[in-house]
Amino acid sequence: MSSTTREEILRHLTAVAELQPPVQKTGKAPYPTEITHELFRAYTRSPHDVGGEHDIPCEWSEEEHEAWGSRAYVTTECLAWRGVWCAEERRRMQNVDLGTTQYLGLPYYGRWLLSAARVLVDGHHVTLTELINKIDEVKNRHEPAR
Amino acid sequence: MSQHDRTHHAKIATGKGDPQCFIGTADPAKFKVGDRVRIKNLPDIFYTRCQVYSRGAVGEVAVVTHESPAPEDEAWGHVDHSEWFYIVRFKQKDLWPEYPDDFPNDTLQTEFSERWLESV
Repeated sequence: MSSTTREEILRHLTAVAELQPPVQKTGKAPYPTEITHELFRAYTRSPHDVGGEHDIPCEWSEEEHEAWGSRAYVTTECLAWRGVWCAEERRRMQNVDLGTTQYLGLPYYGRWLLSAARVLVDGHHVTLTELINKIDEVKNRHEPAR
Repeated sequence: MSQHDRTHHAKIATGKGDPQCFIGTADPAKFKVGDRVRIKNLPDIFYTRCQVYSRGAVGEVAVVTHESPAPEDEAWGHVDHSEWFYIVRFKQKDLWPEYPDDFPNDTLQTEFSERWLESV
């Protein structure tokens, strides 16, 4: 494993630390007595249920159309045609199951793509090993120096 | 790899559409247009489409919309049981205490499946 990989891993750990939501004031794996009912509900709520949350005003901007977004959309529709999931299962996986950090932090169609990969693994259509090997193969095709 | 269920949702909806494929599958609607309803505060772990800001608020049924499995069931592919859906109209002031008094007629409409509503 090259030193470039080690540097990448260490940068990754720093990036993860910066993502920790400020709500985690109790630290890691707190005692049950530290979790009130109110706190439990705040932790376990659906991250897509943002209506009424305290926030700063959003600035409106028109997003430019990108072909990969349409391809992500069509991919998820094809999975529905083939009975892999229905629209509500897709919404659960792309809006809720991935948690608040990913829901707020990733691009819209990025979440669609991620959920498509997830349902294929969860539904036993591909194994995670097959998916990992394929992603690695494609990555190496584009960055042969790694 | 593995075989998935070909009789899934996509098959039910083919040629009909969704939610049209669920017409006639729910018990009779419990509420009608104009009924005053309160939104229940049921547990909301794992999945729901009942917006948290509406819980406990009282509104009026604006439209009886359609029959469909509830999102909490359909989100795991369970489509054997349907219920009626309703568009409920709230006064903005009833949802947001800080809403300006200058606009007392402002309303908000959103949709619920029947399990979330109780008569007032």
